[in-house]
Amino acid sequence: MSGAPLVRQLAEWRIRRACRRLPEDMREECYREWMAEIPAILGDPGGGRGFVRAVRALSYSAGISRATRRLRRVGGGAGGQARPAPAVPWRDGVPAAPPRGPAFRATVGVGIWLALVLVVVAVIRGLQPHSLWQILPGLLAAAGFVAFCLTDLAFAAQVRYLPKWGWALACTLSIPLGGIMYFSVGRCRRARSARPDHLPHRS
Amino acid sequence: MTGPLERVLRVLLADTAAPHYGYDLMRSARVPSGTLYPMLARLQQQGLVESEWEPRHDDAGGRPPRKYYRLTGEGIRITRLELARARPPVRSARAGRVQPAPGSAR
Repeated sequence: MSGAPLVRQLAEWRIRRACRRLPEDMREECYREWMAEIPAILGDPGGGRGFVRAVRALSYSAGISRATRRLRRVGGGAGGQARPAPAVPWRDGVPAAPPRGPAFRATVGVGIWLALVLVVVAVIRGLQPHSLWQILPGLLAAAGFVAFCLTDLAFAAQVRYLPKWGWALACTLSIPLGGIMYFSVGRCRRARSARPDHLPHRS
Repeated sequence: MTGPLERVLRVLLADTAAPHYGYDLMRSARVPSGTLYPMLARLQQQGLVESEWEPRHDDAGGRPPRKYYRLTGEGIRITRLELARARPPVRSARAGRVQPAPGSAR
């Protein structure tokens, strides 16, 4: 049972996230009920060995995640899709970001191109026998671009096709490409995000 | 009545006085938590099942109180009726199952 604290934290984190989906009036009670089950599962003497209990607790919390999706529909009252949950449920009260104008987009474009040019220059210079000073601009550009992408991602109210952490991973792992993909397809523009056929990725 | 619902109701009906916790229901009725809780919420809305918080025990070792479920009087009556109609449980469950995967039949 050495992994129990970590397992417990993981399961509780999952439940906490799942409960954010629920409507206000159910959230508190469901949260208390499910949180109380986790120590009960992990401490269940008839639940098998420590490892088995850990798996049970994790699959329990994964099931809770599914349950909240259904409960939202059951508890929401009139009509299944009538009230879509906010993409960032724990920021319910925060008003939507102000619309971003062409100036912002131009800045983004210039930023991407500058970063690309710098990266290309850095790669060409890096092919020659290099010292730290020669690759430094490239490194700086790459770091700047990643930071730019991650900041934009962090402030975005919703993203498409991948969850936010997926985009963060892509931006960090494949340096210019992930970020370019994010800005070209993953970012919700305000006009599109209102359209029902571009449903934002939940969770 | 679906299979999971029937199993849950059978477990609840087997001992109507005992407290049934969510996790115990999951294990004894072999229903995943993703199915069980929406089902219980629906049954509660219909007034067939009631829930209560367990009183705080001193021997619980600081464990938070759990919530348990029980059939209401109305729930017991309706469940008996419905289960009697769905009988026999094992055979109908088998017959209702879809055909086996290709290659598994000889």
